Amino acid sequence: MSVTSAFGCGAAFLRHLSAGSRSGSTLILLRAGGAKPRPYSSSLARCAAPEPPDVSRLADTARISLTPEEVEQFAPKIRQVIDWFGQLQAVDLETIEPSLRADTDANTSQREDAPETFGNREAIIAAVPSYDNPYIKVPKVLNKE
Amino acid sequence: MPCLIQSPRFLLSHCLSPLPPNARAVFCGRLSHRSAAAALSSDAQTIASNQSSSCAPLPPPPSSEILSVRESLLSRRRTAAEIAEEYLDRLRRTEPQIRSFLHVSETVMREAEDLDRLVESGAELGPLAGVLIGVKDNICTVDMPSTGGSRILEGYRPAFDATAVRKLKEAGAIVIGKTNLDEFGMGSTTEGSGFQVTANPWDVSRVPGGSSGGSAAAVSARQCAVSLGSDTGGSVRQPASFCGVVGLKPTYGRISRFGLMSYASSLDVIGCFGSSIIDAAIILNAVAGHDRFDATSSMNEVPDYASCLISIDQFDSKPLKGLRIGMITETMGDGVDMGVVSSIKAAALHLEELGAVLTEVSLPSFSLGLPAYYILASSEASSNLSRYDGVRYGNQVAADELISLYGDSRAIGFGPEVKMRILMGTYALSAGYYEAYYKRAQQVRTLVRKSFKDALETNDILISPAAPSPAFRIGEKVNDPLAMYAGDIMTVNVNLAGVPALVVPCGFVEGGIVGLPVGLQMIGTSFSEEKLLRVGHIFEQTLQNHRFVPPLLA
Repeated sequence: MSVTSAFGCGAAFLRHLSAGSRSGSTLILLRAGGAKPRPYSSSLARCAAPEPPDVSRLADTARISLTPEEVEQFAPKIRQVIDWFGQLQAVDLETIEPSLRADTDANTSQREDAPETFGNREAIIAAVPSYDNPYIKVPKVLNKE
Repeated sequence: MPCLIQSPRFLLSHCLSPLPPNARAVFCGRLSHRSAAAALSSDAQTIASNQSSSCAPLPPPPSSEILSVRESLLSRRRTAAEIAEEYLDRLRRTEPQIRSFLHVSETVMREAEDLDRLVESGAELGPLAGVLIGVKDNICTVDMPSTGGSRILEGYRPAFDATAVRKLKEAGAIVIGKTNLDEFGMGSTTEGSGFQVTANPWDVSRVPGGSSGGSAAAVSARQCAVSLGSDTGGSVRQPASFCGVVGLKPTYGRISRFGLMSYASSLDVIGCFGSSIIDAAIILNAVAGHDRFDATSSMNEVPDYASCLISIDQFDSKPLKGLRIGMITETMGDGVDMGVVSSIKAAALHLEELGAVLTEVSLPSFSLGLPAYYILASSEASSNLSRYDGVRYGNQVAADELISLYGDSRAIGFGPEVKMRILMGTYALSAGYYEAYYKRAQQVRTLVRKSFKDALETNDILISPAAPSPAFRIGEKVNDPLAMYAGDIMTVNVNLAGVPALVVPCGFVEGGIVGLPVGLQMIGTSFSEEKLLRVGHIFEQTLQNHRFVPPLLA
């Protein structure tokens, strides 16, 4: 699917949303991805299709203790957004270089690599939740596995 | 909608016709002062008492609050304490309805009195002496809490001022308080704040926009003269449009990000709000420039952004003659509110009347920018927010072992939108998925950059709305993330390309009490803020039919 037809998706996407129906979101997914299901086996897919998000595992990786209710609440929304991300798979980007950042000429300098004493150490220490001079205290580290 | 350029005589006859009540109150009131702040302290006439009398001509276009304060101080007409008192008074009066501040400074009067002593001594005053500013709460201030709008940093006091804040203070400004935001900048309504919801001063049942909703509302409600915000995907420009104020997003690297709590490091910029273009320019003067603490800050020289903003009496008859303006086709079609489209078209007509040449320009890959933005932003956020682990700062939830300390502190401290974005970013950056998501988003970024570059070769500036709709009701979009994200379509591509953009209020659509403001977005090439400000200033000063003072101040 070429870039030209891909960029029509956005307008269709907006149109459905402005029609005001929240229940229209399922429709949007089909539109956002293009008319056909994505051809994972085609030469456009440079890698195996990503596994759908496993919210509990992601929460572990991100070190956020989600309650089971939260997992249930977030999973469909996250899946919906990740599916929406998937529309980029259908675009032919083979010859395009990835851009690290805007490259507005903004990354031209580094300061001298010499240590300096920070003047307000007290404020840093005051912000530490659990401090026992000179240690920042944390509970024991257990191996989970 | 009445047409924009009218002779004063035509305006007089309009006074007795059905104009929105606010417009009439403003048209017919005896508001002769130049500054809005001064105007607010005089009595606005009621509509009823003016229906039979002949109406005064439309009050003058917005003038600089900053220059007005400076003039008052230098001429000894007012003291800094009197000015500060007036703003604090208005802040306290309007806060119960607007709730734009998370923290109000306790030292405002003392700082104003110190300044008065300085004035008395005849010492030289900084360019922002006595100017009250609001600072978005994701920008660090050493003497006030800085929460990032999140419970995980509730009560946190940074050990340093952000460079932008330090520079404003050095110029003599007084920070009146920290403004509300969507948590860590993630959101477009300010409903995502961990603390409170800010209301739009034009209609308190509606959102002010986000994530810099507090900063936009504060300037709109004249609780402060100017304010700082941040813009990662439109967080200065969209609230500026929703609240009827000027919003400036500078080029990436123009203003140091040191002290701005990072959301997406390759996209974040600090921006500012004002009630006039001149004020935005003066703030930019004060905060722009290279900073050794921000390796992404630009070494480019800082011009005097305010010096080219001349008085309207000195304008040529066609002050924008020769300016080539491209209206972005993809922003004026399907899915954009009809009222917004007609406001932008009216603004385009106004620009043509000023001498500019308008064409339509299509930006290929425009709509791909939205998912690309959210992939990049979520991914970078998942990395940047890993520092909030309850160990060195912020709220810590007690736990028996370390992983639970991290997990529970973050679970309790972060709100749902932040959690979701971290999880989505974690997914996109998972081993093996780089090709599928992050890399592709970076490639779309290259396409977007190139399409702006190409369009800005045949055009001096590009224009579009700043949002597909005016301010919507509080609660309307909270449960539908994609509906929320869709509203960013007008703004995210600018962040991907790193170019500057300016939003200037241009009209109203129906809704609220007297109508809801709409902003015109103007986009330029990197480091072309001078050009944008000059065009914006000319547009603003010659805009005939609208004044942007919300009804709750009348």
